[in-house]
Formats: sequence, C-alpha cells, structure tokens
Amino acid sequence: MKILIADDEALSRRLLEKTLERAGYEVIAVENGRLAFEELCKPGGPRLALLDWVMPELDGPAVCRAVRVRSEQTYVYMVLLTSKGTKEETVLGLESGADDYLTKPFNAEELRARLRVGERILLLEDRLVEARENMRFRATHDPLTSLLNRGAVMDLLTRELHRSHREQKSTAIILGDVDHFKRINDTLGHLVGDEVLMEIANRLLGAVRSYDFVGRYGGEEFLVVLNSCDPAFAPTRAEEIRLAISHRPIQTAKGPLDLTMSAGLLLSSEWGVKTLEELLHQVDNALYQAKSAGRDCLRIASPAVRAEPPPAPLPQSVRLRH
Amino acid sequence: MNKEGQGLTEQVWNLAELLDRVDNDQELLRDLLNIFKEDFPRTMQSLESAVAAADLKEVSRLSHSLKGMLSSLGATRAAAAAAKLEALAAAGETASLRGALDALAHEAERLVPELNAYMAEVRR
Repeated sequence: MKILIADDEALSRRLLEKTLERAGYEVIAVENGRLAFEELCKPGGPRLALLDWVMPELDGPAVCRAVRVRSEQTYVYMVLLTSKGTKEETVLGLESGADDYLTKPFNAEELRARLRVGERILLLEDRLVEARENMRFRATHDPLTSLLNRGAVMDLLTRELHRSHREQKSTAIILGDVDHFKRINDTLGHLVGDEVLMEIANRLLGAVRSYDFVGRYGGEEFLVVLNSCDPAFAPTRAEEIRLAISHRPIQTAKGPLDLTMSAGLLLSSEWGVKTLEELLHQVDNALYQAKSAGRDCLRIASPAVRAEPPPAPLPQSVRLRH
Repeated sequence: MNKEGQGLTEQVWNLAELLDRVDNDQELLRDLLNIFKEDFPRTMQSLESAVAAADLKEVSRLSHSLKGMLSSLGATRAAAAAAKLEALAAAGETASLRGALDALAHEAERLVPELNAYMAEVRR
C-alpha cells in the first residue's frame, strides 16, 4: 500500500520513510505541503498520508482542508504529526479534516498500529464504494441481459435528443421486436426464451458502436439508439443491426433456432422538437407496420405530410412522390 | 525549579531509545547521523543570524526544525533547548533569544562529541 510522508526536516523524514518501508509500505516522501497535496491529487495516488504540522508552503492542517474540499474522490486517511500535542492543537488538527494525530518523536509500534486503523477505514470505504456501484448497476440495467433497462435508456435518449438538437445532428431510434418470440417460450420453455434474449442482447451490442446505446425496452423489445447518426446511412445501419439476429441461428439448449426481428426506425432530425413520448409512439407505429407487412423487415417513421393544399402549384418534394 | 531539576537528569543522548526507534538498523542509524552532521551545523548558523537580526519568524521556523531533528535522534536535552527557543520566538520575547540560543549551543557541544564517538566506534 502506498503512503505519503510530508516533512520538511530531512532526518525525521528519513526515519519515517525507513520505518514505513520496513512495515511494508510503498513510501512517497516530500518536503512541503504543496507537493503533498499534488501527490494526493494524482490518480492512483496514496490514500494514506502522514503530514507534519509545521511545513513550508502549506502546513499540515491546510493540506487536510484542501484534500477534504475535493468531492467525489477516494477517501484519503490523514494523520498529522505534531510536536506539542496540546488539547487546542489536537482539536484544531482534527477539525481541519485529519483523521488522527501523532506526537513526535513517534514510537514505531504505535505508528504502525495507527496506520492499520487507517487501512481498516480505507477497506471499509472500498467495500461501500463497491456496494454503491453494484446498486447503481442494478438500478439501471436489466438483470437478464445486462443491457440498460427501460428507465435508463429513456434517460439517456432524452439527453441524447437534446444534444443532437443543439448540435443540429440526428439521433436514430430503432425499436426492434423478436418475431414470434412467444412461441419459443410456449413450446421450448422460458429458460430457452431467456437464452435467446441474452444472445440477442449480445448480438445487438456487437452490431453498434461503443457510443451507441442498447436497452431492453420490454419483454422481447429492444431499443437501439445511434448517436449522431448520418440520416443517409441510418436505414442501412438499422438493417445491419436487424440482420445481426437472423444471419445465423441462435444456439440454445434445445438446439439452434432461426429467428428474425422486425424493427421501426426514426430519425430525430426529421421530427423537429417533439416529446420523447411522441417519438417513441411514432417508432412503435413503424414497428407495428413492419409486423403488419409480414415481419422480418424494417419500416421508417416519417412525419405525416400535412393535407393543406399548397397556395400555388409548386413542385412537390421528391420524397412525397416516392 | 523542580522542572529544571528534572531536565538535568535527562541524558544528553538516549541511544537506547534511538536504537529502538530504528529497530536496531545500524545502517539507518548511520544514515541519520550523516544527515544530522550535514544539516545541524547549517541550521545552527542560520539560527545564529536570525537571532542576531531578531527575526522572530525565522527563529521560530529554524528552532522548530532543530527540535524535530534532535528529538528524532533521541537528543532529549538539546531538543528541549530548541523547543524553549521556539516558544520564546513565538511569544515575541526578543530579549531572551540570545540566552536561549547559547543554552542550545551548549547542549550541542555536549551532544556532538557523543555522536562522533559513536560513529567512530561503529565504523571500526
């Protein structure tokens, strides 16, 4: 474990350094408070620190205060080294954010014991962070496929739509639904159905770029969001993603299965400012059209053309005629 | 008076305490003595100038540094003399600085030969 020592006096610093090395620590020794703060701010820097109270540039309590001001960073366990150890000084040191204090000259055994206390606190913090990260993952991901869950993918999509509108780009939304999925569950059982869903999730993830999103929208419905997608290529991309499901059989415990997917596609740039609900409703309509057209195909949700008669016989847009 | 009396019974150099602190590591001990030989005279010299200039802040800083160095080394009496000087500087007692510095120098005169003797002995 790494430990930082900050002491401006060379003899004490050397003594501390050697004592801690012997105790198995990886020691970083500096001679003033500013360097101490810099070391503690480095990514992967030490999380244990022994800081002398009186130091040039920044004194021990000032280093403690500076370290504590940083938020969202890993905890640093800091021990102040003082020579007086008066009650007032102790209170001042602890109030500045130090976890503990030791009076100099230190006793090696006591020093090691106090640092072990620090290690216990850091271990506790590690466990809490790990638990928090697990909870965060569970709250935003589908437990079966590990894809983003509906809530998380909607949040990301909302943000992405704002961004693409601001940057005048287009976000492509693809809603895909596995064809005749119910039959698998009914005839082969839910476990095989789960296997299929997991494999589909893998294939969808493999078919998109690292900055696109794939979420499980409902039972066998998947929502794919292609960020900053060139509208000219979107149908081709959507088709590639859709075909990733059918291009080869899905292996299951009950043998290989040939499956297809129907999908709806929507390009945000064609719709102007619309609510997320409206856009999802439209892409869902497109998916429904794909299903009605016999499944295993893609349909694009394009804004309906207004029925207002043009004031003059202007040539209609190319898209209208096709 | 009582306090002074206790001070007198303290050793000039507590070698046993130091050996305990370095875990009987002779190499480290030699290292520390070498640092001391280099840093101590230099700091004393600066301290002498600071006292002559009645620079309280500098006297406080340097005597604090000496206090740390001396106490780490187990030189209890000299460390106490440095602490006294630091306290006087902090209290702004300019008139008392000279006397306290002389006391520290006196302690150092007793300490340094002991350290030198030890180094000569272990080198053999």
